Amino acid sequence: MNESKNAATEKISTGIEGFDDITFGGLPKQRTTVLMGGPGCGKTVLALQILVNCALRHHTPGIFVAFEENVRRVSANGEMFGWDMRELEKKQLHFVDACLRPGVVRSGSFDITALLAGLEAKAREMGAKLVVFDAIDVLLSLLDDPAAECRELYRLHEWLATNELTGIVTTKVEDDQPATAQRYGFMPFMADCAVLLSQRVADRVTMRTVRVLKYRGSPNVLNEVPFVVGPAGVEVGSSNGVHPEPQPFNERVSTGIERLDAMVGGGFYRATNALITGSSGAGKSMLAGTFIEAACLRNERSLFISFDENSRDITRDLATVNVNLAPHLASGLLRMEAMRSEAASSEEHFMHIKRLIAAQAPRCVAIDPLSALARLGGGLAARAVAERLVYLCRNAGITVLFTSLLEGVDPQLETTALHISTIADSWIQISYALLDGERNRALSVIKSRGSKHSTQLRELIFSDSGITLAEPYTAGGKVLMGTLRMERENAQRGDGSRPLLAEAMNGDGQ
Amino acid sequence: MKEANDSEIPARGAYVFRVYLVDGAPNSVCALANLYAICRKHFPDSHRIEVIDVLKEPLRALGDSVLVTPTVVKISPAPEQQIIGNLSEEEEVLRALGLPQKERDSV
Repeated sequence: MNESKNAATEKISTGIEGFDDITFGGLPKQRTTVLMGGPGCGKTVLALQILVNCALRHHTPGIFVAFEENVRRVSANGEMFGWDMRELEKKQLHFVDACLRPGVVRSGSFDITALLAGLEAKAREMGAKLVVFDAIDVLLSLLDDPAAECRELYRLHEWLATNELTGIVTTKVEDDQPATAQRYGFMPFMADCAVLLSQRVADRVTMRTVRVLKYRGSPNVLNEVPFVVGPAGVEVGSSNGVHPEPQPFNERVSTGIERLDAMVGGGFYRATNALITGSSGAGKSMLAGTFIEAACLRNERSLFISFDENSRDITRDLATVNVNLAPHLASGLLRMEAMRSEAASSEEHFMHIKRLIAAQAPRCVAIDPLSALARLGGGLAARAVAERLVYLCRNAGITVLFTSLLEGVDPQLETTALHISTIADSWIQISYALLDGERNRALSVIKSRGSKHSTQLRELIFSDSGITLAEPYTAGGKVLMGTLRMERENAQRGDGSRPLLAEAMNGDGQ
Repeated sequence: MKEANDSEIPARGAYVFRVYLVDGAPNSVCALANLYAICRKHFPDSHRIEVIDVLKEPLRALGDSVLVTPTVVKISPAPEQQIIGNLSEEEEVLRALGLPQKERDSV
């Protein structure tokens, strides 16, 4: 009794981190798992990847039975993901060509004993523990009788159990129907673990999701979880909370602007995130650049991800306000990556960012703007991605700064496209203050978790000597900015003449 | 098990079959009996049947891409033709073997 209970929960790791997360450890050992999905969902790739991973990581040989696709082509696809198929096929991996010959004639009943007998002999010969049956629906359709299809599937299921083999069976389903309403709808009932892959198009961008329909004797994540087929195969973006939350840091990280540091209580906390919002041209990228420069000057590895603007232009623009990233780029301390927002779904962007973070190992990251994620591929998905990005950085001890465009007509409507402001640890807003025919940049700290922060509206000044904030200057209950402020400052000093602009900028607050 | 010699070239026009089966399994017994009956009826003096038990030679069936039992392969005359099942539907078998309609009707 106890023994069978233990066997039920025994699992084999798939070697795909997110997939192991949603299945709480992998596939059921010596049981049958069904992978269902529409055409082009990535069923074959996922099954092959699990087989390859088991061969490489656990030295568990496996057999791949292809009912639909040419085995050479399946193997060639594996090579494309960087898996050394030729080496694997020497010992660890065996492909069985089970494509039906064209023109085969059916007369009377039959069963799949020949295939199972062959596989059994092969499995014993090479010590295989895992067998993939890719596109089993092709074999079942040959039976052309629901009762026979069900019977043969149970035969397969029994055969796997008897031979102590772990089975992965893939089958096609139509995307627009629930899994159980399909022709082979009984498969999820039979299997010990059933996984549904689906893809849909939102705003012309394809998004793939994976969902564990059932898992006998094990908990599983019930939600749909996004996944991508990246250059190294399937990557599943898991979002369950099994990762331990890191200890909060008390260390402060400079914003790159001394006076802004003072406004948020000494800088951002290490391993938190900061959001900078503002309309187009408000100077969000400039603030992101200063933050990154400050990190590099502290000799911290950094990553600057920009959407829709190339690195050279950003570096050039930042140089005009005395923020120089070029030397840090040259030394490798900083990596800049330009991504095109319309080129991929938010999930693909996330995976890309994750890879960049793994490669650069930064302590500080800027993403400019994060709102680009929501441009295509559905707002809800983008929001989930933004949240996962926040958690990814927090867990890795990375301080991250996001910028986000506020595109609302009403600047008072302080919301962000991704609703990221709710999970932002610090939120800084840049707006335009129109006063007496001048348009000045005004900065305010809306939120700064865990610290006291200034609630004042301050003028943000860009000059060729750097970025700074003006001292708050109020008169008659109004915050004075630009020319009005300078005039007022001069009047207070008893000097009625207008100072030179550059002087005012360099010498403000004195 | 009755085995044919592969090197032996059958007479011109002779029918050569290879049957993959599980010895003693109902569908297999049925298929073999049906095949013998058809041969006796249609080409009594020019047929040869090779039998392979997939449980005794499992890797051979796998190598020949035979997935189901029983499977009957008509090796000769060309082209090769696979027929799966216990051959209970005789008309399907005859059509697959390319036997002329007239001949079938005359029997």
